[in-house]
Parts: sequence; C-alpha cells; structure tokens
Amino acid sequence: MLTLIKKSRAILGMNARNLSYIGPNNTKKAIDLANDKLRSKEVLRAAGIPVPEVYGIIRNRQELENFKWESLPKSFVLKPNRGMGGDGIKIIYGKKNDKWILSEGRTVGVEDFRSHIFNIFDGFYSLFGGEDIAFFEERIKINNSLKPYSFRGIPDIRVIVYNNVPVMAMLRLSTKESGGKANLHQGGIGVGIDIATGITTQAIQHDQITERTPDAKLKLSGIRVPYWKTILEIAIQCQKTSSLGYVGVDIAIDKEKGPVVLEINAHAGLSIQIANLAPLKYRLQKVQGLKIKNEAHAIRVAQDLFGGEIEQEIEEISGKQILGIIEDVSIRRRVDSRTEGSDESTLSKKDKANLQKERAKEYIGLRAKVDTGAGYSSIDKSLARELGYGDVIDEFDAVSKDILQRTGSQEERDTLLRDQFAKWGEGFSNVIIRSSHGVSYRLIIKMDLILSGIKINTPVTVIERSDLKFPVIIGRKSLGHFLVDPSKSLKELSKSAGS
Amino acid sequence: MSELVSFIMAQHVDINTVFLLLALPFIATLIAGFRQIIGIKSFGIYSPLVLTFAFWATDLKYGVAIFLVIFTTGTIARYILKKVRLLYMPRMAIVLTLISIAVLALITIGGHFQRYGLSSTSILPILIMIVLIEKFISAQVEKGFRTAAFLSLETLSISIAGYFVLSWGAFQRFVLEYPYYVFGLLVIDFLLGKWSGLRLSEYLRFRNVIKHVDVD
Repeated sequence: MLTLIKKSRAILGMNARNLSYIGPNNTKKAIDLANDKLRSKEVLRAAGIPVPEVYGIIRNRQELENFKWESLPKSFVLKPNRGMGGDGIKIIYGKKNDKWILSEGRTVGVEDFRSHIFNIFDGFYSLFGGEDIAFFEERIKINNSLKPYSFRGIPDIRVIVYNNVPVMAMLRLSTKESGGKANLHQGGIGVGIDIATGITTQAIQHDQITERTPDAKLKLSGIRVPYWKTILEIAIQCQKTSSLGYVGVDIAIDKEKGPVVLEINAHAGLSIQIANLAPLKYRLQKVQGLKIKNEAHAIRVAQDLFGGEIEQEIEEISGKQILGIIEDVSIRRRVDSRTEGSDESTLSKKDKANLQKERAKEYIGLRAKVDTGAGYSSIDKSLARELGYGDVIDEFDAVSKDILQRTGSQEERDTLLRDQFAKWGEGFSNVIIRSSHGVSYRLIIKMDLILSGIKINTPVTVIERSDLKFPVIIGRKSLGHFLVDPSKSLKELSKSAGS
Repeated sequence: MSELVSFIMAQHVDINTVFLLLALPFIATLIAGFRQIIGIKSFGIYSPLVLTFAFWATDLKYGVAIFLVIFTTGTIARYILKKVRLLYMPRMAIVLTLISIAVLALITIGGHFQRYGLSSTSILPILIMIVLIEKFISAQVEKGFRTAAFLSLETLSISIAGYFVLSWGAFQRFVLEYPYYVFGLLVIDFLLGKWSGLRLSEYLRFRNVIKHVDVD
C-alpha cells in the first residue's frame, strides 16, 4: 500500500497537471494563442517552423457568399478555427464534376460546405461554444513509412515539452473506429515512442494496451518514426515560440515536406503515460530547473534521462538513417517536362484527363534495391521515360551514337555532349563506360529521391534494365546520408512472408 | 435552531429558502470533492448542482422521470435531425419544441393517473432541465454518444446523491443548527483546490503505468 502511494506520486494526474503545470506555466495569453489555430499557425510560421499552408479564411456570412470555390485546389482540409479534439474537420481528397470527395468516399457540393461552415460559425465545434470562423488548409500527404499503420487519416506525433526539454512522445494513429481521426478519445491508437531513438515501444487503444493495429493487424512496436531528431527540434522551437511552459505539440509528417506542425495544445492529455508505460510527473520533475543551453543540449538531456528503453543504435552515434537492402523509394517527375503540350493535342479527352491525373502525382513510388557495390544509382530507361525524360533519352542516344562514330580527341567529344546538355537545362551529365564491348556513353540525370523519409538530390544513370527485378538501384553516391544494414530488409521480408 | 437562523426568519425569510441557501455550499463542495478526489466527471459544477435542486423541487422520482423524458426526447430528436441538414439554432429550436411536447404529455398522463405530484410540477425545475439538455446534446456531438451518455449518467448520479443529502433529516437539522459550518466548507474547498494527488479513478486508469514505476 505504501509503495502504491509512493509509486503513484510519479504519475501526472489531472489535479497535478492543472495545478502544478498548466496553472503556473501557461499564461492566459499563451493559452489563447494555442486555441486559435490560425493565429498560432501565423506565429509559428513567422518563427520559421513548418506549418500547413492556409488556402482561405471565411470569417462571416458575407465572406462565405463571396467565396471563390474554384480557387481551392483539388485536395484540402476544412477546419473550424477553435475546434477541439478533431471535431468539425472535413478532409477533401479530390474533385469530381464540381463535387468534392471526402475521406469516407462520400461526395459533397458547395451547399454541404455552406451548411457545415454555418455550423462552424455558430460555434458548434468550438469547445467553449462561442462564435468561430472556418478556414481551408493544405492536406498533409501521409508519409510512406507510416501509411500502413493508419486507417485513412493522418498519423501525428505528440511531443510534450517542458522547460525546453521534450519529455515524452507518442505516435497517434487513426482507426476505423475513430473515423480517420487520430484522437485517442475517439478510439485512435496511441503508440509510445522511445525518446532517444524515435522507435515505438508499445501501444494503447481506449487506455488499454494493444499489440497490433485493429484493422490491418500490424505490429505496433518497433516502428521507426522518420525525421525523429527534426521532430524533437521542431517541438522545442514550438514551446519557445508559443511561450507555453507546458505544451503538447502535434506534428505530422508530410510525404514531401517532412515534419509539419498541426497544432499546439495548452492542455495536453495524460494518456501518453499509458502509451509509454512511463510516469510523466517523474520526468517533469527531472527536467524542472535544468539550465538548457540550446536545442542540441535539450535533446541530449531528453535522450540521456528518458531514452534507453530500446538499445541505442548506431544511428544515434552517426546521426544517419539506416536502410535495408530493399527500400521503398519515391522519385520526382521531371519538373519542366518538354513533352508537355507537344503531343497532347493528339491525345483523346480521356487520355488527357489521365495524363493530368498522373501529373498531379508529383512522385512515383517504387521498390528499390540498395547496392553498395554500385557507384551511381541507376534507373531503367522506361521508368525514366515515365518520369518525363523521354525526349532527353532519345536525343542523348542519337548524339552519343553520333559522337562515338566520329574521330577526334576525347575532349572534342566531351564538348559536343556538354553543348547538348546545356540545351536541356541543368542537371544533366554523362559518364563514359569502358567495357569489353568498347566505349559507351551513359546519361546521368540529377533527380530528387525520397528514401526512408529523407529527400536527396542525386545523380542517377539511365540504363536498360527492364529484364531485372528492380527498376531502381541505389548506389554509393546516393547513400551519403545513410547506413546500410543488410539484416533489416531480411527481417521485413520474412515478416511479410510470415503474415 | 441557531440564533442566526432565528434572526433571519424573524425578518420574514422563508425557512425553506434559508435551508437551501445554507445547503447549497455543501452540495457544491460535495460535487467538487467527487471531482477532485474520486474523479467523477459530470458536466461542470453548475449542472449537477442545479439538477439537485430541481429534483428537490419536483420530488426525486418525478424529477428523474422528467429528466429521462427530456434526455431521451432530446437524443432521439438529435439523431433524426442529424440526417436532415439544418443550421444549429433552428435545429435546437425543433429539439426544444419536441421536448416541450413530450414533457407536457408526461405531466398530463401523470395527472390522468392521479400522480398529482407530477401534474402540479412547477415550470421552473422543468425549465432548468430543458436548459441543461443543450449541454448534454452538444456533448453528444463533441464527444460521441458513449462518452456523453456516461457523463450524463455521472451527472445524474451526483445529483441524486445531492438530493438524498438535502432530504436527510439529520443534515437539515445540522445546517439550521450550525449555519456557521459554511466557513468550514471554505477551508475544505481551499484544501480541495490545492489537492494535487491522483484521483481514485486515476489509480485505476494508470494502474499499468504504476506497475512500471521504479521507486528508488
């Protein structure tokens, strides 16, 4: 009994949270800022913290009447400014014949939006009643590595920051039950995260410990949250900027932009303790009064004090992301594709629509082989064509063939090629391959790749490898930010084979 | 009866009013204790307090009957109106209309079956309950039916507990005998306000975390 009471003192309860942490540390002004999503977004952006873009604000009926619906992009999110707990949020995935497609697959028109926005005006979704305003915001595109774990909706990472130190974190996943929202009280899953490594430990749903996702039955421990260090840094910056002494920062990871702050909370919930099976009050007391010099120091303190549930990994020492042999990679399409417009007139209407749809997807996602034996990364010719480099490949083939037949010094040949590259714009070069068949030229294109959540700009050779299993090989020149662990992919593969 | 109470009554103040005003601080403290020590949530302090006094005014069984009718009508009305998209205020007006009709039907039926306690219910406690229903319904929207129903149940339980305290003879005599006890309540409220320990419900909620705490 005595130990029970002693142990329970390490836990942060509602009473202590309100009395000892929110009361003295969060001023009314700072709380008001946190509850006003638009204003806090503005303040964070001004401080250089990444936040989702705002497409439009509707403050009153008149603005609603005059709103230009066609100014909205195909995909966006509609939010009440003072909404709480994810209520009143509508996520729009696309547009079809003047109707918008919602996350549930339902379509809605302008009238539905109007009625929803009227409800927002009436304070239907704001926790304190009272009038509210509505705004449209950029829809975060879910990061590949977290995608399988989330049922619709965007997963986010909640980090509690106190005295500049990130003290506890959890990954929140939406489930079928939570209706695509990552809020725990609606049935979302909270997954504890080891603060040192960013690897998940165990998970809860409805405050009960759970092993796997309810829908896809995936294991919830051992997930590596990408951009972990950046996430911690952003959380610390948010505390400084918001001047909330005790703050819960919600960060989502966008496929292309990386970590983005969704919102800051002055009244962060307590379930995070169950997800981490760790007492929060104990941690808060540990960091209280510490003199934190800078962000790096804060992260070191957090890692030293609260990390270590999971073995320290090499990544921690080197700061590099670990890759397996087989990895998912996203390759960006050519930005200024010269094929645009030229052959479009010959396309049928349907093909045109398809082409536009394809173009809207800026990246192509594929499975790649990581090969430390290769110098350059390489991609298959047909894939390069799909990425929009068809004309470059054709011209390069013609020119290089022409050059090889010419007599003359190597230098002369190189200048010829260089002139050609200059015509195409930046990012093109070549490599000379000498093999038993003689000399040949290979085209090199600088491309944007996303590997394990990290964006790199790297030279890629274009070769014929349609006969091989992987259309993409990641070579040494692209692996500067990574370490390769051959056992990682084997584990993954055997896991997927087992299930 | 204390001198103070006798003095007040000599100024033509109704003894019922004196008792209720002296009992109110106790009920308020009770609700605060339920929240801070036990962890029963309820809709704030105001709803269970007002509901307690509404029950006192109507008699418990009739009060609960009216409350349940209002609650059920409100919930069903909301459920039906969810399918027809309407703006908030007109929708609430429809809900309130349906509630009024239901309550009127209830007390008429009560009168018909010689339940005069029901038919002679004054409008004030009924109005109080109708006002509260907006909170209950908006909670259903915000937190989902399960959570809201649970909160409503907790509020109802606290109010029923409050009602029993109010109608307990010993308590009534105590309050009128020692009206200065309210100053003692101030001290208790102050201590409750400084209480930062876990609530009883939190021992249950965090039981798994407690197991994992290392005491050094």
